[in-house]
Amino acid sequence: MKKGKMIKALSIILAMLAIIFATVTPSYAASSSQTSTTKKVAKGSVLKRIKAKKELVVGTSADYPPLEFTTSENGSTKYVGVDIELAKEIAKDLGVKLVIKNMSFDSLLVALETGKIDMVISGMTPTPERKESVDFSKIYYKPSGEYFLINKKDATKYTNIKSLKGKTVGAQTGSIQYNEIKSQMKGSTVKGLGKINNLVLALQSGKVSAVLMEELIAKAYAQNNNNLKAVKSDIKDDAAGNAVAMAKGQPDLVAAVNKTINKVKKNNLIDNKFLPQAAKYMKTANKTNKMSQYWSYFLKGVGYTIVITVFSVLIGIILGIILALMRLSRNKLLHCLAVAYIEFIRGTPQMVQILFVYFGVGYLISNLSAIIAGIIAIGLNSGAYVAEDIRSGIDSLPKGQVEAARSLGLSQAKAYRYVIIPQAIRNIWPALGNEFITLLKDSSLVSVIGVSELMYQTQLVQTSTYRGVLPLFIAMVIYFIMTFSLTRLLNYFERRMKKND
Amino acid sequence: MTKMLEIQHLKKNFDKNEVLKDISATVNKGQVITIIGPSGSGKSTLLRCLNVLERPTSGKVIFDGKDLTNIDEKELDQLREKMGMVFQNFNLFPNMNVIENIKLAPMKVKGMSDQEAEKIALDLLDKVGLKDRANQSPSSLSGGQQQRVAIARALAMDPEVMLFDEPTSALDPEMVGEVLKVMQDLADSGMTMVIVTHEMGFAKEVSDIVWFMADGYLQEKGSPEQIFDHPQSDRAQDFLSKVLK
Repeated sequence: MKKGKMIKALSIILAMLAIIFATVTPSYAASSSQTSTTKKVAKGSVLKRIKAKKELVVGTSADYPPLEFTTSENGSTKYVGVDIELAKEIAKDLGVKLVIKNMSFDSLLVALETGKIDMVISGMTPTPERKESVDFSKIYYKPSGEYFLINKKDATKYTNIKSLKGKTVGAQTGSIQYNEIKSQMKGSTVKGLGKINNLVLALQSGKVSAVLMEELIAKAYAQNNNNLKAVKSDIKDDAAGNAVAMAKGQPDLVAAVNKTINKVKKNNLIDNKFLPQAAKYMKTANKTNKMSQYWSYFLKGVGYTIVITVFSVLIGIILGIILALMRLSRNKLLHCLAVAYIEFIRGTPQMVQILFVYFGVGYLISNLSAIIAGIIAIGLNSGAYVAEDIRSGIDSLPKGQVEAARSLGLSQAKAYRYVIIPQAIRNIWPALGNEFITLLKDSSLVSVIGVSELMYQTQLVQTSTYRGVLPLFIAMVIYFIMTFSLTRLLNYFERRMKKND
Repeated sequence: MTKMLEIQHLKKNFDKNEVLKDISATVNKGQVITIIGPSGSGKSTLLRCLNVLERPTSGKVIFDGKDLTNIDEKELDQLREKMGMVFQNFNLFPNMNVIENIKLAPMKVKGMSDQEAEKIALDLLDKVGLKDRANQSPSSLSGGQQQRVAIARALAMDPEVMLFDEPTSALDPEMVGEVLKVMQDLADSGMTMVIVTHEMGFAKEVSDIVWFMADGYLQEKGSPEQIFDHPQSDRAQDFLSKVLK
């Protein structure tokens, strides 16, 4: 009997997966005749969309001074750097408003392919592999060469590829530098992280011996941190420079971008205007890397974290009650659906679920914003756990409670509403409390899709201040204050419920 | 005499275990019926089949002209309103105080206003001698008091018949009397009652008809004098010789 049930649940999970893939693949199959990797973005549609919405959405990984980074101005975050200036020029020439979307470097191309952003300007080099999935503009900027960023105390030790043999060298995941280490530094181990500031942290804490990055960026970090040093590397840099990436099949958009790049090149704007401006901001950042200047960053993060938590908890409770009732239902189909959902959610990592909702479901609903996707993903996840809590709460009630209610003429629904659920909630309150505290902490995971919650804001502060550990410590303290207050609040309600006993 | 409840060829199996084997009987309006018999004979199951808390395997239970085993849930809910039930373990709702327990069904099922329900509840609490406990939580009451509240709760729906499932079995001996007294008053007021009980003295006192059950069969039906003083079947003679001394 039990085995039969398990097989049934398993087959339902598989059926659900099949349905998900069935809904995703038609759009894939329909356009795969053009190229194997263009999936969603229709031919020639992007420029039309930009003009219609009067908005150019540019994706970037803003941790790469002087190309793209953040600075704090009057307490609010501002994206600056050479690439941002170029984006402004493009938007100006198109006559639309510029919107910057900051996300980790390795998410940029996925976001581009799924239509979340219109283009990527993020110091990206057109490689043959990348050209298979996206189109590039002409080169707008050629960096001056690769540098090793190392700890100053190692200045005599690590000077070239040979001296780093047997050591670990870091680079941004998905970057040119990452591949260069793999192909040219066979004796070293490569360590990839999504964000430059985390790589610098890894360097300072000795996890990596050096980080490979472009000259200007390496120098920026060395200037802003006395313990670091930038060393010119002997990596052969055959990269062609940086270009703007766009979805496949958008010749009109590529032409428009190339026109702006031609103008920028003709007037030599990068050297004359963009770089000096970026340098100025980098100095500003240097001056203001006291944490007290950045309280508004953390405050904004706390706001978003609370919003995400509150709405996810609401979704979690409602969905949890529905799923628990489905699971307890005598209807076999409802029961099996609920079991399959709960098992599937509990059996997959939440990080994957968040990415899946944002990129996968965002596939079907194209203007799904990151924060909504984050709230949905966390809410859906929490619903499965809440459902199990509620079910155990209901199961633990004596059968006589339902019988007494039904014998008075209450329908099944009313018996649950007035008699069973209130008691179940009270019984499982401590378990629910734990679930909500976990949820608050797990909301930090949505930083991967670029929602400005506390963890994401912390990373911004790390980038802006060139300091790694202190912002993390502050974030930790803030998270603790939030969870501790939540615990107190939950305990207060628990005591009140006990009083009614 | 008008028929209140009619049981026709009722059978109930739990998996392969036959608990009720072909039971037929009638309850007339105003009758007080007690069901006695050894443990495991199916008394409680029979009672629970009467308002379909336990769904019979076959057979009919006719109430208000309808076969309860063969109607939809909604209709069943409506008919259950007219059948009060009192349980061995009281089953008061711990998430409500005493008066809220009583008011719940009149308000949520009959759609009564709070004031109306309050008035009925207080009258009934007065009847069972617990008016001063209206705002206490069930857990602060003794077993006997809880059972009296449970009776008041069932009566609040103004039922046509009351079913009692061993109402005094979970009580300390000194509290049995107060509950039986309430039931005696109820019987005197003309309420139709079906009572599963082990209180032989009470059964003898209060019943119009006694049903003796053993091995899933209704072995004997009759007046208390017939059953207690002149039992016919071997099973009844054997049982009564053990419990009456």
